[in-house]
Amino acid sequence: MPAVGSDVVIAGIGETPVGRLPGWSSVEIQAAAVLAALRDAGFALSDLDGLINLDPYATPNSMFSSTLAEHLGVAPRFACTIDVGGTVTGMTMLQQAVWAIESGYCNVAVCVYGENTLTGRPVGAQGLHMHNMLGGEEWEEPFGLHGMVIPYALLAQRYLDLYGATDADLAAVALVTRRHALLNDNAQMRKPMTLEDYRASRPISSPLRLLDCSLVSDGGGALVLTRAGRAPQGHGRGVTIRAIGMKTTHNSVALMPDIPDLGMAAAGADAYEAAGMGPEDIQVANLHDAFTISVLVSLEALGFARPGEGGALVRSGAMDLGGRWPLNPHGGLLSQAHIGGMLHITEAVRQLRGEAGRRQVEGARRALVSGNGGIFSVCGAMILEKP
Amino acid sequence: MLDLLATPPNPTGASVPFWDACDRGELLFPKCGCCGHLFYYPRRHCPLCGDTALGWQRMSGRGTVFSHSHVHVAFQGGAWSGQLPYTVVLVDLAEGPRMLSRLIGDDASAVRGGDAVSVVFPRIGDRRYPFFQRAAAG
Repeated sequence: MPAVGSDVVIAGIGETPVGRLPGWSSVEIQAAAVLAALRDAGFALSDLDGLINLDPYATPNSMFSSTLAEHLGVAPRFACTIDVGGTVTGMTMLQQAVWAIESGYCNVAVCVYGENTLTGRPVGAQGLHMHNMLGGEEWEEPFGLHGMVIPYALLAQRYLDLYGATDADLAAVALVTRRHALLNDNAQMRKPMTLEDYRASRPISSPLRLLDCSLVSDGGGALVLTRAGRAPQGHGRGVTIRAIGMKTTHNSVALMPDIPDLGMAAAGADAYEAAGMGPEDIQVANLHDAFTISVLVSLEALGFARPGEGGALVRSGAMDLGGRWPLNPHGGLLSQAHIGGMLHITEAVRQLRGEAGRRQVEGARRALVSGNGGIFSVCGAMILEKP
Repeated sequence: MLDLLATPPNPTGASVPFWDACDRGELLFPKCGCCGHLFYYPRRHCPLCGDTALGWQRMSGRGTVFSHSHVHVAFQGGAWSGQLPYTVVLVDLAEGPRMLSRLIGDDASAVRGGDAVSVVFPRIGDRRYPFFQRAAAG
């Protein structure tokens, strides 16, 4: 596993408001995020020569990179749309941007995702129009499976059975991310949550309740990459990508490996090896949290907790601000917004710059970001470092 | 549950024999003629060795529950409201492969991980579907 060259840095981040953005189209949201990220880095629109995005899930579009390039008014040398699913796409976009810059083909590349998932999805749709999202329509829909919640529910039930875990373990994740979201002015969920609130939330697909599930959100996030020292505003502010580890093991839940063998462990091992680090070197844990179960599984796969002990770790306070590994200080997909994991990365950058305000993690030098697409089908782990 | 609902499959040339067998009340899984790998779901090649000389093996239809979920939301649309809650299961077949299916029967709501289940083939519309029921239910 080769280390990512430390010469390429994240020089700018851009976020739009999240929640409901009526009157905004997906391409407009992505453009706003790109412009914010360029401004943050001090680049002009005309500096952009690499553009990588993910097309909207609620209203799928092909050729969305040229849609966005035209809308922005740029003519990049390199443009592409990447979809490896869920919250790992952002990491794959970064990987492509790093390679594009390291090869010398691009100087300034932007990675962006955003859409009007909440206000723009087709009327009456229970889920998104994610046809073939898990690649197994013939082997899923006839059996009553559609969308993302049921596969994660099957994973969660397996976790409970395998380790004797309980809903208190799942709840702990929902509660800590909500506590953190309350410190973020750009978060959808603004009310405190108690264990009683969690348990009173309606069942969706057992054992998952409403408050085990991430949000549906409008919004966007973008990242600008360039070589260290190139960004006009980047002096001392560029964040280094120390390592990105990836693993694809399957697509549909029927072929999902059992929990100890999920690809997140391999992705994490690759990232740790490439960076020459372990969990003990990390101060911020921005972990995939499309569902509460995702965090427990990821904590264990990435070595923050032993198998079956993720819930105990979260309940101990270790994942709270002030604890050893604050989890998703921005509130995550569960309580801030679900912007495909892009805001896990922008938040990691903000934390490493020391610009996170009242949710700043003291002494944050390195952040681990994890993401996965499908049902831990494509797993990614990335280590970012303050220069 | 009297009126089961199922979204019909759209088989490919590789999977027609699987669904045709279900209509006869048989569960057939593909088996590699080269390396002997028995797998699910049907494909035109063996996912273990890549060979395309495949045959079919009749399965016992017995298995155990790897995981399950009681579904309370009509993700496939309002027509499914009357099915709620229904139970989705991952079944480890006695012969090895795991498949996703539905667990039916009055006692489906009491299912636990590791429970013995067996295949049944209810007719829904034009097809019969390989669903499961708890073995104790006979």
